[in-house]
Amino acid sequence: MLGDLINPYYLQVGSFIMINIILGLSIYITLSSGQLSLGSAGFMGIGAYTSALLTINYDLPIIVGVIAGALVAGIIGILIGIPSLRLTGVYLAIATLGFGEVMRVFLVNWESVTKGSVGLSGIPQIGRELLKFSRDSGFSPMSIGLKNNQFVYLMVLLILVIINILLIWFLIRQNKSRVGRAFAAIKMDEKAAEAMGINITYYKVLSFAQGAILSGFAGALFAHVMGYISPADFSYHRAVDILIYAVFGGSEVIWGSIFGAAFMTLLPEVLRFISEYRYLIYGLVLVLMMAFRPQGIIDVPLLQKLHLTKRRSKHGSKN
Amino acid sequence: MVLKINNVSKNFGGISALTDISFSINKGEIFGLIGPNGAGKTTMFNCITSIFPPSSGEILFLDENITGIKPHKITNKGICRTFQNIRLFSQMSVLENVLVGGHSQSHSGVFSGVFRTKSQRNEEEKLRSTARELLELVGLSEFEDAVAENLAYGQQRRLEIARALASDPKLLLLDEPAAGMNDTETADLYYLIKKVQERGVTTLLIEHDMPLVMRLCDRITVLNFGKKLAEGTPEEIQNNQEVIEAYLGSEGDDDIA
Repeated sequence: MLGDLINPYYLQVGSFIMINIILGLSIYITLSSGQLSLGSAGFMGIGAYTSALLTINYDLPIIVGVIAGALVAGIIGILIGIPSLRLTGVYLAIATLGFGEVMRVFLVNWESVTKGSVGLSGIPQIGRELLKFSRDSGFSPMSIGLKNNQFVYLMVLLILVIINILLIWFLIRQNKSRVGRAFAAIKMDEKAAEAMGINITYYKVLSFAQGAILSGFAGALFAHVMGYISPADFSYHRAVDILIYAVFGGSEVIWGSIFGAAFMTLLPEVLRFISEYRYLIYGLVLVLMMAFRPQGIIDVPLLQKLHLTKRRSKHGSKN
Repeated sequence: MVLKINNVSKNFGGISALTDISFSINKGEIFGLIGPNGAGKTTMFNCITSIFPPSSGEILFLDENITGIKPHKITNKGICRTFQNIRLFSQMSVLENVLVGGHSQSHSGVFSGVFRTKSQRNEEEKLRSTARELLELVGLSEFEDAVAENLAYGQQRRLEIARALASDPKLLLLDEPAAGMNDTETADLYYLIKKVQERGVTTLLIEHDMPLVMRLCDRITVLNFGKKLAEGTPEEIQNNQEVIEAYLGSEGDDDIA
């Protein structure tokens, strides 16, 4: 029976992987124009709180909240992105990390709205809403041999998988277009890119804002999957986790941060049986990575070996 | 008149890299800018392309004042350059480099690029065919899929020219295109620049290879220590006493101009 095969715990880990992949994509897209932003956790918090507050206080549908969360994060991304243009490399990283901390402190102290460090609970959950909806339309999970909670987690995972496929498709298409070429040109040589007529201000802010939108989007989804958020969810640790997705998986290609996010979410879960040592092993894996494969697990030569990408050749020419 | 430089000066702190330079370039000309190392030739290029604007003076392009506007706008107006120290997008393929060069000739944004609208597909197709045509012009057709940094030095220089031409410039600025080239490559470069001239592109050339400059250029301006030393046809320049002294040095004279 289908129902016996589905373990809600695995499904939930799968959902976290999907959300973390979106966060991995957010850092990838800012990196693709040569900007190292550690603000992802801060933007994630903005998206999560925006969506949670809108759905709790104004009874808006979750989908409206999620879109609003992503947009608010994007707008703040533009506001942070413009002054940050003067900063490059590690200076930008520090500034954006600072922004993330400011956001967290802000969420802790704006108690009248955010309930401070206690956090928000009772956020409408995607799964529950779906269950309610299916019941209203006369569908019972039992009819396909699933318990309610199995059905809920399965549907959430399914939705997140679809969202991820669409996002990855979007970003791959963008990479192969004029905009993607402009990002890559800026990453490789900003002065030369400018001399080729690329408005670097526009494209850098664009990629920064896209990263912020993705982080905000992931944060909003996180809120509606968990049902509970607190400022600690969007702290410095989260920013570092997201950075590791790109560093571990590889930041040159989109599959790098996707792989990194999936692997780094899975690893602590898989190692759960040696609970006391799992972060030790986690740390060891990272140290070994930096020593032996600093460009990350997945890079262009590896993809070529696996024949996952045509030799840089005709991409786009057959469109 | 394509380009007119009016009394341009550029100071870095207390050092004046360019002092009161004026010259103008006619349509279709190959105009040489020569001078000993440190004479301010590349600084002149950087002023024209607004990498840093001049401290005083003005630069007119097709009778329009372009002094100090953003570098990417300069390219959009029809001035494109190559770099003395090659600055290709080294990890991109040869073709992609030229496609980036065509940035100012295309307009598609995020959504038309992602959803591949009809106009975006036409635009890409046009960019690609122009890029392939330019690669053929510079003799790099067979390398279109190669990664730029794997090209030989002379090929990289020619790729830079193709990339600059992709922006469909009216004025092309070449910064020492023959540097590091052997005799055969330099000979090829001569014909390439001539072919570019036939396309109706005006060229401003910085070059140290004197035989090449003298054969190519219609007119030449000589800079020395940031000042204009002479201007004229190749014959006039070759016979100019001050120019000869600047290059070969003269006894007890350190303020020539």
